[in-house]
Amino acid sequence: MSAVIDPKAHMEHAVGHGEHDHEPPYSVQLRANRLGLWLFCFSEIFLFGALLGARFYLWGDTRPELDQTLGLITTSVLLVSSFFMARAEAAIAHDDRKTFLRSLVMTAALGLAFLGGVVGLEWGGHLRPTDGVYGAIFFGMTGIHAIHVLSGLIFIFIVWNNGRRGHYSAERHWGVEACAVYWHYVDVAWVFFYPALYLIGRAVPL
Amino acid sequence: MEEKKTAAYRQGVLVFIGLAILTIAEFFVSAAFDGSAVLLIIIAVLKAGIIAQFFMHIYRLWRVEEEH
Repeated sequence: MSAVIDPKAHMEHAVGHGEHDHEPPYSVQLRANRLGLWLFCFSEIFLFGALLGARFYLWGDTRPELDQTLGLITTSVLLVSSFFMARAEAAIAHDDRKTFLRSLVMTAALGLAFLGGVVGLEWGGHLRPTDGVYGAIFFGMTGIHAIHVLSGLIFIFIVWNNGRRGHYSAERHWGVEACAVYWHYVDVAWVFFYPALYLIGRAVPL
Repeated sequence: MEEKKTAAYRQGVLVFIGLAILTIAEFFVSAAFDGSAVLLIIIAVLKAGIIAQFFMHIYRLWRVEEEH
């Protein structure tokens, strides 16, 4: 006896009974998502690590004379943005939507301010990309980091837009968590870039 | 629920204060110790560890039961 399966009837049966057994439970998906995101973060260590390695190899125990106040201000702005991102995540985890959306806006505004500080002010200083190893490393490191900040800002906008439409809840907010982890990761990269560019070594006037 | 939320917000503020203190400390360490790479890298690693633990919640990778 042969069994003939009508695909249409099978699909209707499956939909009618809400059968999606092939989909793993949300907690399992979440675990896999987290692992995937952290593996991505780990892979990025090679990029940022290579840039740091180039800095220490080429600059050694020296650094170009840069505007210290500007460096400290941009670093502080990124740090405050990280605080607001952590607040946004904590807020959605407790169903505090108002604080969640406001904190995301604050994070994005501070991220934009950081980007403006780097691109508009730091890049507009006396150091040029053509100034030998100092210019090349400075613009290479800040440029790669700025691209990550920019992609983080796009990510924040998407999450904010989804949040505004009520896509997240206290129980399910992987998108927010992923965005937060990525934003903090960009902050961690700057935690190493800031001393490498501004603080470590003897300042060399150009 | 409300208490947990307040505790989560408070933790964020405390972590931020800690990171701000370390950032100011590295600024002055650079000036006082002539840009000592060892000291500044130690402070940077400390800051990165705090961010990974309290802001990025790295410990969630080893959790099985809880969702968020």
